[in-house]
Amino acid sequence: MNDMFVVAKFTLKDMLRRKAFIISTIIILLMIIIGCNIPNISKSFKGESVKAKILISDKNNIFENNLNMLSNDDNEIITDNLSIDEIKEKLLSNEIEEAVIVDKVDNNINFKYIVKNAMYMDGSPYIVDLLSNLYKEIQISKLNLSNEEVLSINPAFNYEIEQAEEEANGNVFVMMILSIVLFYAVYFCAFQVSSSITTEKTSKIIETLVTSTSPTNIVLGKTIGIGLAGLLQLILIILTAIFSVNMFLDSELVSSVLDMSSITIPLGLITLLYFILGYATYALLYALTGSTVSKPEDIQSANTPVAMITMIGFYISYFTMLNPSSNMNMIAGFIPISSPFCMPFRIMMGFANVNEVLISIGILLLTIFVISSITIKVYSNAILNYGSKMSFKDIVKMYKQK
Amino acid sequence: MLKIENVSKSFGNKKVVDNISICMDKPEVFGLLGTNGAGKTTTIRMLLGILKKDSGDITWNGKAVDRKKVNFGYLPEERGVYPKVKIIEQLKYFAELKGMSKDDAIKSINKWAKLLKVEEYLNMPAEKLSKGNQQKIQFLTAVIHDPELIVLDEPFSGLDPVNTEILKKVIIDLVKEGKYIIMSAHEMHTIEEFCTNVIILNKGKTVLKGNLRSIKESYPANRVLISTNDNISNIIKSLKLELENSVDNSYVIKIKDENDGYKLLDKVIKSNIKVNKFEIEKPTLNDIFIEKVGGKNE
Repeated sequence: MNDMFVVAKFTLKDMLRRKAFIISTIIILLMIIIGCNIPNISKSFKGESVKAKILISDKNNIFENNLNMLSNDDNEIITDNLSIDEIKEKLLSNEIEEAVIVDKVDNNINFKYIVKNAMYMDGSPYIVDLLSNLYKEIQISKLNLSNEEVLSINPAFNYEIEQAEEEANGNVFVMMILSIVLFYAVYFCAFQVSSSITTEKTSKIIETLVTSTSPTNIVLGKTIGIGLAGLLQLILIILTAIFSVNMFLDSELVSSVLDMSSITIPLGLITLLYFILGYATYALLYALTGSTVSKPEDIQSANTPVAMITMIGFYISYFTMLNPSSNMNMIAGFIPISSPFCMPFRIMMGFANVNEVLISIGILLLTIFVISSITIKVYSNAILNYGSKMSFKDIVKMYKQK
Repeated sequence: MLKIENVSKSFGNKKVVDNISICMDKPEVFGLLGTNGAGKTTTIRMLLGILKKDSGDITWNGKAVDRKKVNFGYLPEERGVYPKVKIIEQLKYFAELKGMSKDDAIKSINKWAKLLKVEEYLNMPAEKLSKGNQQKIQFLTAVIHDPELIVLDEPFSGLDPVNTEILKKVIIDLVKEGKYIIMSAHEMHTIEEFCTNVIILNKGKTVLKGNLRSIKESYPANRVLISTNDNISNIIKSLKLELENSVDNSYVIKIKDENDGYKLLDKVIKSNIKVNKFEIEKPTLNDIFIEKVGGKNE
């Protein structure tokens, strides 16, 4: 046990000293900080105003000079009676974001909405709804009605949403991001185990190492050491993200997009547990492939099957998360290759009960035990194999060897 | 006491070590000889538990040789270091794996670094060291924890004469300190210099084993060195002896036994040629090795 921690400590120190690890961590942290500063950067380019400029052409003064009432924090209304060609020119030169030409024919009011690209438009534009409401208000005000009469004609419409399926508690967006972060953390961290094992074979240090401690201590010590480095990186990323969001982003904007109330300490702990178990599953698979090659150039091809399993696991979890109440998502929570990415999401959404969580963790632990015993056996028998990459048949032979 | 008794190992259908027995009952350097592929490294790997033997027993003081029970050191044939890691860090790592405390490890590293003259490299990454210095670091790794049994697989290969002398002195001192050393080497003169007992393997089988001096004594003389002040080529021819080498009237001549040598000396003296030097030699270990393995020493 002591030797395992000596190997883990040495591996952790080695990982933290690697230039590639340091540089990739700095790049990720910078990307987070820059990402959170994009609204500020865009403000500094556009000046303080980030309002959308909307031009309204009302030749017949249908809105009776009331159009400026539509200006708010998001929109700046510009009134100018330009021709359609002049408006298009302003759109193409990015002077305005959108434009509306208002016209009255008989009793009908026609709106011509002009935008740079209408490809992704779905339904009527928001400004058209605003104009319709403004017109109604102007006409009602002319009737000299009492407040009650106005309210009876134009009451405030409140609505709430009720769904037939089981209700989700949490924030899908936050968990989707967390799943992706978990996937990358597990994937890139676990991959390092394979590379670390092959490097020891390439540098021929392995023979000295196996006479100093057991293969079990080497495989598990390496897995723990690299896992700790990955965990430190993950914690650093999360802390930087929290700091950057609070420091650089508008709190109202953040709360409208991310509902942080559903991110609790127990959920954080369970996510951490799934990261550890998911990492251990994939790291031990990568340790298996790493011990079957002895040349750095063979690592990538040896790792391809595990990389594919990782991708499949992630996509199963990701696509079933789009419909979290489905049976498919429930099954994904039990499959050991997808459960680490999927189960924290299900727990936060309130879809997974205690039994499901325990079964899912049990399956993962069993998988880790099976993979580690196969990996340690193959590693023990394959460490002195300095030849070319081993085939699947060779791996089975190594496993069966005494 | 180290005992290797009737040990065998096969890979598939190929028997690479066939019923080998070795016994070391006192501190010494034991020579393990053989051509490439003779089974030396496989024997060492079985001795250290890296490979599992198919049959036989390997014991140290009556106990099976196991990392946990026997304090051994190993310099493998395949040299290896962590290229990017500082020498001191990797030495401390292996010392800790051998159960040493940090303080003891540092004391031992400093002592050995001084003896092997590698002190200046301790804070450098291994990749910046020459091959010879990397090899000395590996030797240091093998002895850092003061092992009782030391296995050195080709310890001198790749070392320059200066470093070879440093390592030779260290090995002699280790034996004086009571260490049991098994050494595999290709350089026969090195084995002759160090080893009391040897075993020669060929294709996994023992072809010769025992005390090196006794083995050599059991062989008849096979060579004459003679230096004269005149040319004696015709005399050598007339006696039908095989000339191995000659430079400026100094000759190395192959003989079947000592009598051939004395006949040559007699004839040279009778021809009134002055003899400056005359020596009858026993076969070298290299001669015995070549005779036993039936091929050239690689």
